[in-house]
Amino acid sequence: MRLLRQALLLLRSELRQELRDFELLLTAGFFTVVLLAMFYLSFASLQAKAHLSALPGLMWLTVAFVGVLTLTRVFDREREADTLRALLAAPIERLAIYLAKAAMALLVLMICCAVLVPGLWLMFPAGQAFADQPGQTALLALLGCAGYVAIGTLFAAGLATGAGKNTLLFIILYPLTTPVLMYALVTTRALLDRDPALPDHLTQMFLLDLILFAAACLLFETVLVGAPARAPGRRPRHPRRPDASVRQDMSREPSR
Amino acid sequence: MTDPMPDAEPRPAPVAAAGFRLSSVLPDLCLLAAIPLLVYSVHRVFMSTPIEQSMGTAFKIFFFHVPMGWLCMLMALIAGIAAAVQLRLRSSGAAAVALAAAEIGFVTGLGVLLTGPIWGNATWGRPWTGDARQVSTALLWLVIVAYLLLRHYGPRSSDRLAAALAIFGAVNVPIIYYAVKLWKTLHPSTGVVGSLPPEMWATFWPGLGGLLLVSLGLLGLRIRQLRLADELDAAWVQLEDPR
Amino acid sequence: MNETTPPPSKPGDDYAPVVGISQEDTATLRMLEGKAADKTARDYEHIVWAYGVLWALFAAYGLFLWRRSARLRADMNDLQRALDRTADRR
Repeated sequence: MRLLRQALLLLRSELRQELRDFELLLTAGFFTVVLLAMFYLSFASLQAKAHLSALPGLMWLTVAFVGVLTLTRVFDREREADTLRALLAAPIERLAIYLAKAAMALLVLMICCAVLVPGLWLMFPAGQAFADQPGQTALLALLGCAGYVAIGTLFAAGLATGAGKNTLLFIILYPLTTPVLMYALVTTRALLDRDPALPDHLTQMFLLDLILFAAACLLFETVLVGAPARAPGRRPRHPRRPDASVRQDMSREPSR
Repeated sequence: MTDPMPDAEPRPAPVAAAGFRLSSVLPDLCLLAAIPLLVYSVHRVFMSTPIEQSMGTAFKIFFFHVPMGWLCMLMALIAGIAAAVQLRLRSSGAAAVALAAAEIGFVTGLGVLLTGPIWGNATWGRPWTGDARQVSTALLWLVIVAYLLLRHYGPRSSDRLAAALAIFGAVNVPIIYYAVKLWKTLHPSTGVVGSLPPEMWATFWPGLGGLLLVSLGLLGLRIRQLRLADELDAAWVQLEDPR
Repeated sequence: MNETTPPPSKPGDDYAPVVGISQEDTATLRMLEGKAADKTARDYEHIVWAYGVLWALFAAYGLFLWRRSARLRADMNDLQRALDRTADRR
C-alpha cells in the first residue's frame, strides 16, 4: 500500500512536470505523426489485400520506435540533473520509482496509440476492424504497450545512471522486446481477421505482461542499487569491492 | 578479495596462486578429449552413415548443425544463470562466466545461422523459410549480440544491467519460440526433421559430445583469461593508487 | 526394335528371345544417373561449405583467445616491470 502511495506521489510529480511544458507528449506525438506520414508515403501503393498483413507490423513498429524515444526522454530529465541517484538515495521504496516511470511512459504511449490507431484506420481500409471493435483494440494497445514498457523502463533506468551511452537502449530493447511485439503482432492480426480466438490471445498477452512486470520488479533494485560512481580512466571491474556510497546503500538493505 | 586495505606492495593474484589447480587444467583436458571424438565423428558422418532417403547427402550437415543449435541454447542458459548468480552474490567470477558463455553462444549461434541456410538451400531449395526454429534462434542470437555490445561498450555501471539482459534473454527463449510458432500458424509452415533411425543417432552423439567438449574447453579458457584480466586490473589499481 | 530375330521354328526348342533395354530407357537412365551424380556433387559442396564455415568460426574464436592472452601476457610483463621500478625506488 505504501509502495502504491509513493508511486502515485512520484507519478503526480512527473505529471506536474509534464503539464508544465508538455515536452514528452509533444515530441512523442509528433514523432508518431511523422512515422504515420512516412508509412503512408511508403505503403500507400500496396494492394488492398496486403494491408491486412502490413497493418500489425506498422502499428507495433511505431510503438517500438516511439517507446524508445519516450523512455529515453523520461529518464533524460533525471539524467541531466543527476537526480536519479538522489531519488535512489531518498527514503522511498525503489520499486515506486520503477512503477511511476513505467506508468508515465505507458500513459504517453497510450496517448500516442490514440493518434496512431485512428491514423492507420484512415490510411488503410483494412483498419476498419479497429473501429468496429474499439474495446478490444484499446485493450490490445494497452497490453502490448505495457509489456514493452515493463522491460523498457528497467533498461532505460539502468542506462540512465551512467553518463552518456544511452543510445545503447535501442540496441538492447529491440531484441529483448521481440516476444511482446510478436505476441502483439499475432493478436493484432487476429483482431483484424475478426478471429474468435482473440480473447485467448489477449489473456495470453496479459499473462506475458505479468511475467515481464514481475521479472522487471525483481531485478530493478538489484540492477540499480548503488550504481557506483564512475572512475575516470580505466574501468576495473570490482563488484566485490563497492565504494563507500554503495556500501552504505547495502547496509540499509535488509540482509538477504 | 574482500580485504579493503591492502599493503603498499600489491600481492600476487590470490586466485591464480591457489585453489585454482583443477580448473586450470580442465579446459585443456576438455579440448584434448574432444580431438579423438571429433575425428571419430567426422569419420562416421562421411564414411559409415547411410544417406538419408528424402533429404539426400545434404542431410549430413545435420550432424553438426543441430549440436551447434543445442550448444547455443545451452550457452544462453549458462549465461542467464551465471548472470543471476552475479547479481545475487556480486561475484566477479560469475560475471566472467556469463561473458564467456555469451561469447561461445555467439560463435555457436553464428554457426547455426550460417549452416542452417546452407542446409535449407540444399534440401528445400530456399535458404530461409521463416520456420519457428530458425526465427527464434536468430532472435536469441540477437539478444546475445546485444549482451556482448552492452558488456563491451556500456558505461561502467552497466555490468549489472547486462546481467539483467542475460536473464531476460534466457527467460525469453521459450516465449519467443512459442510466439513465433503462433505467428507461423497464420502461414503454412514446412516440416523439418522427423524421427531418425538409430544408426543416425549413433553418429549424432559423438559429434555432439565432441562439440560440447570443445565449447566447454573454450569456455574454461576464456573464463580463466577474464579472471586473470580482472586480477591484473586490480593489481594495476593497487599499484597506482595504494590507499 | 531389338526384336528382329525370327521366332523359333520348332515349338519344342527352349529358345527365349533376348529383350534388351530400349534406347529411350537407356537415355532416361543415364539422365537420371547424371542428375543424381550432380545432386550428390552439389550436396557435397554444401556440406564442405557448412563444415568449413563451422571450423572457420571456431578457428577465429581460437585466434581471438590467443591474441587476448598475448595482450594479457604483455600487460603482466608491464606490471612486473612497474613493480620492479617501485622496488628500486624504495
